[in-house]
Amino acid sequence: MVSFSSLEFLFRFLPVFFILYFITPSRHREITLLIGSIIFYAVGEPEFILVLVLATLINHLFAAQSWKVSEGFALHEWQNRRRKRYMIKAVALDVLVLCTFKMLGIFVSNALLPLGLSFYLFKMISFQVDLYRREVWCRPQLKYTALYFMMFPQVVSGPIMRYREGEFELTRNYSLEQLEDGLKYFILGLGMKVLLADRLAILWNDLQMIGFQSISTPLAWLGAAGFSLQLYFDFWGYSLMASGLLVMLGYHFIENFNHPYASKSISEFYRRWHVTLGNWFRDYVYIPLGGSRCSGVRLVFNLAVVWLLTGIWHGNGVNYVIWGAVLGLFIILEKLVYGKLLNKAPVLGHVYVLFLIPLTWVVFAVNDLSYLGVYFGRLFPFLGGPGIAVNQQDIVRYAQNYGIYFLAGIALCVPAVFRLFEKYKKNPIVVLLLAVIFWYSVYFLSSSAGNPFMYLKF
Amino acid sequence: MKIIKKCPLFLLLLSTGIFFTIIAAGGRRTIYAGQEYSPLKAPLLSVMFTGLNEGIYPWQVLENGSITTSGPMDTDLAQAEASQEDMADPGDVEQKDEQVSSDREEVPPAKIPSQETAKEEGQEERNPEEVGEDPSKQGEEGVQEEEEDEPEKSPLPEGEGSEADLPDQRAEEIPEGRLAPLRESTHEEYLNHISADIYGDAGVIRAASYGFSQVDETYFDDALFIGDSRTVGLRDYTDLSEHADFYCETSLTIYKVMEENFKGLGTVEQALAAKDYGKIYLMVGINELGRGTTENYMEEYTEVVDTLRRLEPDAKIIIQGVMRVSGEKNSSDAIFNNSNINARNNAVATLADNEQIFYVDVNEVVCDEEGNLKADYTFDQIHLLGVYNDLWKQFLMAHGV
Repeated sequence: MVSFSSLEFLFRFLPVFFILYFITPSRHREITLLIGSIIFYAVGEPEFILVLVLATLINHLFAAQSWKVSEGFALHEWQNRRRKRYMIKAVALDVLVLCTFKMLGIFVSNALLPLGLSFYLFKMISFQVDLYRREVWCRPQLKYTALYFMMFPQVVSGPIMRYREGEFELTRNYSLEQLEDGLKYFILGLGMKVLLADRLAILWNDLQMIGFQSISTPLAWLGAAGFSLQLYFDFWGYSLMASGLLVMLGYHFIENFNHPYASKSISEFYRRWHVTLGNWFRDYVYIPLGGSRCSGVRLVFNLAVVWLLTGIWHGNGVNYVIWGAVLGLFIILEKLVYGKLLNKAPVLGHVYVLFLIPLTWVVFAVNDLSYLGVYFGRLFPFLGGPGIAVNQQDIVRYAQNYGIYFLAGIALCVPAVFRLFEKYKKNPIVVLLLAVIFWYSVYFLSSSAGNPFMYLKF
Repeated sequence: MKIIKKCPLFLLLLSTGIFFTIIAAGGRRTIYAGQEYSPLKAPLLSVMFTGLNEGIYPWQVLENGSITTSGPMDTDLAQAEASQEDMADPGDVEQKDEQVSSDREEVPPAKIPSQETAKEEGQEERNPEEVGEDPSKQGEEGVQEEEEDEPEKSPLPEGEGSEADLPDQRAEEIPEGRLAPLRESTHEEYLNHISADIYGDAGVIRAASYGFSQVDETYFDDALFIGDSRTVGLRDYTDLSEHADFYCETSLTIYKVMEENFKGLGTVEQALAAKDYGKIYLMVGINELGRGTTENYMEEYTEVVDTLRRLEPDAKIIIQGVMRVSGEKNSSDAIFNNSNINARNNAVATLADNEQIFYVDVNEVVCDEEGNLKADYTFDQIHLLGVYNDLWKQFLMAHGV
């Protein structure tokens, strides 16, 4: 049920929750949302709901203590020292919990990784630091902190909203227009996930099924492009659904993707891809380390730390570390060597991004390093040789079968296309189109729900 | 009016949703009776979409509640489904007859009438004895009973939900000569039954006693391969396609073999009319593991083999046992597992007469000592990696007839 693109969530959890939410008097709606979120998590992962609840309580206690110290007009040095101690203790604890479960996940079993752990712990860390930096303006109340950490649209995989972006203390405005607006983002996200990402996922699965040694070079490139689009629409779609839900509930839209494939450099790409995560690393790792206002050597070190951590955060596997390291390397090179050149020659910048990013996604996608070597051997046959039992005509069939998804996906990568949607989203044709997208997605979800092999028939 | 301006999309979804639910509720006992639906996990309207996926269109609900099929849904599939319905609801004879008669209406003119009647007779003969011996119906019934916890959504008093509520009334509806279903049997018993090993390995042993010979690639110049996605792999990742013709399509089943219009090629019947084939290789069966029973799979397989023989009397027909799945899949899947595959292979192996019809089993070269597809040979636990299709080709070359 934890997947927004499941019939269970769409037709069971969501309607019931929304009815209860809107019949609750508006000053108690946080409580409804909190309870709904706990149920949402508990149904999805009953084993680990306690971890979430305990982490929430402990973080709240630290925050409450820290707030108590800071009461008064001006802060004295001793107060700041104590506040800092609370912050450091809380953050250390959060990091410890994160590392412990990560280790368990790597060395024991993936099943020991609680759902959404890294997302909600990142929120907790950001909350503690923001509190210390006095960017939290009201005394933290348990119902708000708990809601911030647990709210169901974000608990599973972000976006990593900041506490102040939630505006928990303010009176919330609810309106039908807002409901409608949120619904539009939600459906758009649902369509991206179900109609694009899930379709393209079959292509990547097919490549694995065939075995990388037997795919032709054009198919290897198609596969890299397909995976790049699949990941993008999976995550952008998810983020749109999450933010759409927030808007429907009366919160602000949290932007997580800003047309990354239209970037002219890799550093720009990662300012526009998974924005909330990038900002998190910037504000809580990169800048505390000294950011870019320091010596060249230190800058390289800072960037390397950020990107290695980013790699490790994304998954348990050496390939993620390599992926982070490669990105860090390119970003360092851009900062120190050719960044300005890319800015001056936009065409070159676009080509550079569109050539390199899919290759980095291949590293991201393939967990086994020997398979990764084989894949790159197929991408660049002058390095990897001719392959084994390669069917040179395979590209024709795959291009025919998946061409439509590539066309739609590439169109959606163009910022102007999305702006067009935002401009005309009240137009009846767009409304009708969204309804069609919704029911078409439900069609796919229905036909794969009864038969899990619908996606991958033999 | 104002509210429509404020949230048109919301209202549009709400109204279409209600409309679809009404359609689904209206067809629940008729056109959507064969659709699986569990109220906790999905909305009622999802049956409309699963139906759509099988070629059952919503407007058919208006056609007086009888089942009609059209479009991509073919008659064989409809019958397979009808017999599934029988399993789910053995008491409802009237409904079944209705289906059969409407199927008859829908039979395309090209269809040979004798074949159709034979099939129908077969079905009628089969049904009573199935009721007598068959735990599957009760299993299915039990499952339905568990799942259906919203009886009020069932529009007709005979709905499965209300049946569950009113066992007494239900018992009265069961015609004489049929046993009342036992409600105690479990889902596991049902699963065991759908692929029951009712033939044993006698057929496999007899088929293996034939003296196969080593052949070279030219042997396949007059061969036709029919199969599902696994055969697609054989076509795409070996050079056999330079010699033989391949009529294969992902998700092909025995129920669709004769009707399938293979992309750019036409039907099997057209293929056999256009060229004289000396050998016809057949490997289907994995997709239909979750459908029907060993009996009606076998029945359909026999039918297909007979049809092939009639259309191409001189060709040798080589039935290939379905390739097994890996150990990981085998131990985690209640339907797509090797005991089910073996049971159905044992069934079709009995068709081999070692003169015109042969049975070969590629599993001997691609499986480990436990009889599972070797883990190294597959990524998705089901298909051979491209490169290992050569083992299959070599196996076929060692098993010339």
